Amino acid sequence: MLIALVMSGFVAALAAPALYHFFPRFAGRLCPLLPLALCACLLALVGQISAETPLLFSLPWIPSLGISFSLYLDGLGLLFALLVTGIGFLVFLYTPAYMGNDVRLGKLSGWLFAFMAAMLGTTLAGNLITLFVFWELTGLCSYLLIGFDHEQEESRRAALQALLVTGIGGLALLAGFILLGNISGTMELAELLGRGDAVRSHPLYLPALLLVLAGAFTKSAQFPFHFWLPAAMAAPTPVSAYLHSATMVKLGVFLLARMTPVLGGTDAWLYLVVVTGGITMLTGGVLALLRNDLKQILAWSTVSALGTLMLLLGIGSPVATTAAMVFLLVHALYKSSLFLAAGAVDHGAGTRDITRLGSLVKSMPWVAAGAGLAALSMAGLPPLAGFIAKELLYEAKLQAPLAPFLITTVGVVSNALAVAAGILAVWLPFFGRGGDPDLRPHRVEIGLWLPPLVPGLLGLGIGLFPAPVGQWLVAPAVAATRGEPALVNLALWHGFNPVLQLSLVTLGAGFALAALRGPLLRKLPEPGNRPVWGPEHLYGMLLSGLQGFSARLTLTLQSGRLRYYLMIVVGVTVVLVGFTFLTGSGELPSSLPRPDGGIHEWLTAIVILAAAVMATVTRSRLAAVAAIGTVGYGVALIYILFGAPDLAMTQFCIETLSIILFVLVLHRLPQFTLLSNRATRVRDLLVSLSIGGLMTLMVLMAVSRPLSSHISTWFLEQSLPAGHGRNVVNVILVDFRALDTLGEITVLAVAALGVYSLLKKRHKEES
Amino acid sequence: MDMITIPAVNFTPILPEIFLSVLAMVLLLINVFIPGDRKAYLGYLSFVGIVAAGVLVAAGWGGHIESFSGSVVLDNFATFFKMIFLVSAGLAVLISDQYMEREGCNHGELYPLILFTVVGMMLMASGTDLMTIFLGLEVMSVALYVLAGFNRKNPKSNEAGLKYFLLGCFSTGFLLYGMALTYGATGTTRIAKIAAVVGQMSLPSANIMLVAGMLLMLTGFAFKIAAAPFHMWTPDVYEGAPTPMTAFMSAGPKAAGFAAALRIFLVALPTLQVEWSQVLWVLAVLTMTVGNITALRQDNIKRMLAYSSIAHAGYALVGFTAGNGTGTAGILFYMLSYAFMNIGAFAIIILVGKKGESNGNVQDFAGFGVKHPVLAVAMSIFLFSLAGMPPTAGFIGKFYLFSGAIQQGYIWLAIIGVLNSAASVYYYLRVMVFMYMKDPTEEFDWMQVTAPMALCVAISVIGSLIPGIIPSLILQFAQQAIKLI
Repeated sequence: MLIALVMSGFVAALAAPALYHFFPRFAGRLCPLLPLALCACLLALVGQISAETPLLFSLPWIPSLGISFSLYLDGLGLLFALLVTGIGFLVFLYTPAYMGNDVRLGKLSGWLFAFMAAMLGTTLAGNLITLFVFWELTGLCSYLLIGFDHEQEESRRAALQALLVTGIGGLALLAGFILLGNISGTMELAELLGRGDAVRSHPLYLPALLLVLAGAFTKSAQFPFHFWLPAAMAAPTPVSAYLHSATMVKLGVFLLARMTPVLGGTDAWLYLVVVTGGITMLTGGVLALLRNDLKQILAWSTVSALGTLMLLLGIGSPVATTAAMVFLLVHALYKSSLFLAAGAVDHGAGTRDITRLGSLVKSMPWVAAGAGLAALSMAGLPPLAGFIAKELLYEAKLQAPLAPFLITTVGVVSNALAVAAGILAVWLPFFGRGGDPDLRPHRVEIGLWLPPLVPGLLGLGIGLFPAPVGQWLVAPAVAATRGEPALVNLALWHGFNPVLQLSLVTLGAGFALAALRGPLLRKLPEPGNRPVWGPEHLYGMLLSGLQGFSARLTLTLQSGRLRYYLMIVVGVTVVLVGFTFLTGSGELPSSLPRPDGGIHEWLTAIVILAAAVMATVTRSRLAAVAAIGTVGYGVALIYILFGAPDLAMTQFCIETLSIILFVLVLHRLPQFTLLSNRATRVRDLLVSLSIGGLMTLMVLMAVSRPLSSHISTWFLEQSLPAGHGRNVVNVILVDFRALDTLGEITVLAVAALGVYSLLKKRHKEES
Repeated sequence: MDMITIPAVNFTPILPEIFLSVLAMVLLLINVFIPGDRKAYLGYLSFVGIVAAGVLVAAGWGGHIESFSGSVVLDNFATFFKMIFLVSAGLAVLISDQYMEREGCNHGELYPLILFTVVGMMLMASGTDLMTIFLGLEVMSVALYVLAGFNRKNPKSNEAGLKYFLLGCFSTGFLLYGMALTYGATGTTRIAKIAAVVGQMSLPSANIMLVAGMLLMLTGFAFKIAAAPFHMWTPDVYEGAPTPMTAFMSAGPKAAGFAAALRIFLVALPTLQVEWSQVLWVLAVLTMTVGNITALRQDNIKRMLAYSSIAHAGYALVGFTAGNGTGTAGILFYMLSYAFMNIGAFAIIILVGKKGESNGNVQDFAGFGVKHPVLAVAMSIFLFSLAGMPPTAGFIGKFYLFSGAIQQGYIWLAIIGVLNSAASVYYYLRVMVFMYMKDPTEEFDWMQVTAPMALCVAISVIGSLIPGIIPSLILQFAQQAIKLI
C-alpha cells in the first residue's frame, strides 16, 4: 500500500510524456486524477494513524549495513503527504491551462510527477538512507524544473545554484545520517526515534546535529543559504507554487520535526535553530517589501515563513510545535493560492510588476477572490485559518525559553512585514486604483482561477471549523514530532488576551509599513547593476575562486615535465621512508662493518664515483654515455673482485650492448644545451643526493643482516649427486631449472625470428 | 639415483590466464592473415574469448585452490577481481574498433595486447607470492605502455607511452625494492608466510627494514593506482592514450593495483595497519582533493574524466584506509561499478568525438539531449553514477566506502570524502547542463553507432544502474570475496 503510494508517481512520470504525445486532449484531465486519488487514500487513513501505530513497510536493500528500503507513515508524514498530494492535485489542474499549447507540457508533467513521488518518498521514508535518496531526488527534480525554460541564461544559473546549494547540503545530511546511524546503531526510523537519549549524550552528537542542520537549512532556504529560493522563481509558476512555496522547501522543516525526538531538546539545538530561524524570518520579511515582482515578493515572504517554522521547531514546546504544524498547513494553503494567482495574473495581464498592475478584480474576479482570501489569511485576520496560526505563534513566542521578549518582538515585526507583503501582493494588483492603463488583462479560464480559489476557501473553512483539523491532522503530527501524545484544541476565539493585542499591533504596523513603503523605497539608492554584498555574492566568489584555484593548481601540478614529475615521486618517497627512519621506533644498524677493502677495491670505487660525477657534469652526450658505461664496468670489476666471474661476464655484455644502443640512438639527437639555471641544478643535486642517500642507507641495512642461505647450500650439495655436474650455475640452468631455460630459449628464438623477418621486410622495401 | 620428482601442479587456478594467453597468441597469428579493414573480427573474437574466460572465472566461484607451491591461489577475492578485469577489458574491446578505425590506427595487435594486460592483472589478483604479483604487474604494465602509445602517428599518444614507460619503470623499481626489503626482513616472499613471520614479531613497527619495505611497496602501488602525489603521469597519459585505452586503463589496471595491494597489506601486514593506514589516510585525502580540484576546470571531457579518475581512486583509498570488512567490500563494489560507469561515459565521448580526437569539449555536448535522447539519458546515468548520486551504483559504492571509514573512526576522512563528492557534482553536472539546457552550437552530424558500441553502452547502463537499485546483487559477492583475506 505505502509502496504503491510512492511508486505510482514514478510510473506516472514515465507515462505522462507519452500520454501527452498520443492523447493531448485527455492527458490534461487525466493527470490530476492521480494526486487526487492518492490524496483520497491518505485522507482515508486519517484517524487510523498515530505515533503508536504507524504504518510500516520494509524491503531489505543493503542488508550488510542494516539498511532497508522502508516506509513509515505517522501523523507527521501524513500531514506532509496530504499537502503534497492535495496541492499537487491543484497544480496538475492548473499546469495545462498555464502552459497552453506548449509542446513541453508532457515533459513538465512527467517531471512534476517524479517530483511528487520523490516528495512522498521523503515524507514517508522509514529509513535514514531511504530518506536521503528521496531527498536528493527532490533536489534533482527541482533542478530540472527550475531550469525548465532553459533558453534563458538566468534559469540555467538559478537551477545550478539551487542544485549546488541544496545538493551540498544534502551530502552534509548524508554524512550526518551515517554518523547518526553509527551512534545509535540503527538506520531505521522506527528504532531510531526511541534512542534519542543515547544520541544526545554521545560525544559525536554535535557534529551529527550540525551536519543534519546543514542539510535542513539549505533545503529550507535558511539564512545564509536563503538566496537560492528567490532565484529559483525563474521556474514556471506552477513549479514555484508547488515546489518552492508549499512542499519542497518545507522539507527542511519536515526533517527537523522528524529529528526532534532524536536530536531536539538540547541547548545547541535551541540556539542554532532559533537564531537561524529568527534571522531568516526577519531578512525574508524585509526583502519581500523591497521587491516589485509579484513572484519575488511571494518568494521572500516564503523565506520569512520558513524562518518562522524553524524558529518554532527550535523552541520545541508543545504549543510551539502545535503552532508550527498549524502554520505549516495554513501557509501552504495561502501561499500556493497566492502563487497560482500570480501565475494567472501573469497569464492574463502579461506582467508581474506590481507598479503596473491594478484593478484586476474586474477582469479576473474569481482569482481575486481566491487571492483575497489567501491574503487575509496571510495577514492573520479572523475568521481565516491564518488568524488561528498567528495566535498560536504569539503564544509560543511569549513562552519561549530563550529571550521571549526579543523573539516576540521579532515575530511581531516579521508578521507586520507579512501583512504589508500581503497588501502589496494582493491589494495593489487586484483592488488598487493604480496600474498601467495600457495593460488590457483578459479573462482567464477555469483551469487558472479554480486552483487559486480552492485553497483560499479551504483557509476560510479551517478558520471557521478548526477543531476537526486540529484533532485529526495537527494532533497526530504534533505527537509524532514530540514523541508523546498531544492534545490539540484549535479554536478561533480565545478572548481578548495579550496575544490578541499583539495581533492588533501587528495589523496596524503592517498597514503602516505598506503605506510607508512607497516613500521609503524612493529614498533608497538605486541598487543598479552592482552586485549586492551578501551570501549570494559570497557563493559567486567561492565558485569563481574555486575555479581559479583549480586552474592554477592544474598548471602547477600538471606541468607535463617528466623531470618535475620524477622529482615529486622521488621527493615524496624519500620523505616518506626517511621520516619513518628518523621518527620510527626501529633502530638503524649502529655498528656498520668497517670498510676493509684493499687498494684495488678502493680504486674501483673511486673510478665508479668519478664516472658517475662526470656523467652528470659533462656537456657531451657521448661522454655522458661513456661515463655511465664506466660505472657499469666498475660494478663488473667489483663482481670479479668478489669472486663472481660469470656475473661479471654478463654485466660486461649487457653494459657493452646498452652503450652501443645508447650511442646509436643518441647520435641522432641535437647537442646538449644548458637548459636549467644554477638554482635548479642545485635543487636537482639535492634531490639526487637524497634518493642516493636513502638507497645507500637501505643497502647498508640489508648487508648488516645475516643472509639466510639455505637454498644455495642445497644447490651446492645436490649439484653433483642429482645433476652430475660440478659447475653449479650450469646445473641450475640446464637441470634444476631446465624447463625455465627451455621457455626462455624459445621466447628468444621467436623474438629473433621476428626481428629477422622485420629486418628482411625493411630490406625488401628499400630495394 | 633418485629421479627428481616434478611437483604436481594444479593448473586450475590459472586456467583463465592460460586460456587468454593462448587466445592472445592465436589472435596475433590470425592478425597476419586479416586485411587491414577487417580488424574488427579480431575484436569480436576477443570479446567472445573474454566472455568465455568470464565463464571459466565464474565457474571457480566458491572454490579455494592453492597451486604452484602456494604462489597462486584461486579464491573468491581473485575471482571477483578477475571479473572486474574482464568487464573492463570486454567493454574496452567493444568500444575500440570504431575509434581505432576513425583515428586510423586499427592495428590488430591491439586486442592481443589487451588480453595480455588482463592476464597480468589476473596474476596480480590471484598471486599469493610477492614474485607472482610482481610478474603479473610487469606483464600488465609492459602491455599497457604499448597500449598508451598505440596511436603511433599521434605525437601525444607517443608522449603518453614514453612518459608512462619511464615513470612506470621508476615506480616498479620502488616496488621491487620494497619487496626485496620485505623479503630481507622476513626471509620469504610468500604472503601467508610473511604474515606468519610478521605475526610473531613482538614489535613489527620497530623492524625498520620491514617498515621501509612496506613503505616502498606502498609507493609502487600508489603509482599504479594513481594516488596523489604519485598521480602526475595520469592526466598526461590518459589524455594522450587512445580514448578506449584511457577508459580501460582507468578501470582495469587500477583495480588490479588495488587487488594486489589489498592482498599484501591486509593479509601479510595486518599488524602494521596503524602504520600503513596513516600513510593511506594522507594519500586518500590528497588523491581525492587533487583529482577533483584539477578536474573542475577541464573543458575537454576526456581530460575531465582522466582527472576525475584520480579522485575515484581516492574514494577507494578511503575504504583501504579503513581496512575493515565494509571498506574492503566497498572497494570491490566500487571498482566494478566504476568500470561500468567510466567506460560507458568514455563510449559516449568516443561517439560524440570526431577524427583527430576533436569535438570532445563540454561545449560540443550542447543540445545532445535533444538530438540523441537515448544516448543522452545513458550519459546522464553515467555522470550521476560518477557523481555518486542515488539511485546509481556510484552512490552505493561511495556510501559503502565512507561507511567503512566511519565505522573505523575516520570521521574526518569521510567528511573530506563527502565534501569532495560535492565538488565533483559540479563538474559532472556541467556536462548535463550542456546536454539538456543549451542549444547546439552547430548541427549534429549523423552519428554512427556501431553494434558493439551500442552493446557497450547498454551493458554499462545496466551495470551503473542495477547495483544502485538492488545493491545486494553485487554486494553479497563482494562480501564473500573478502572473507578469505
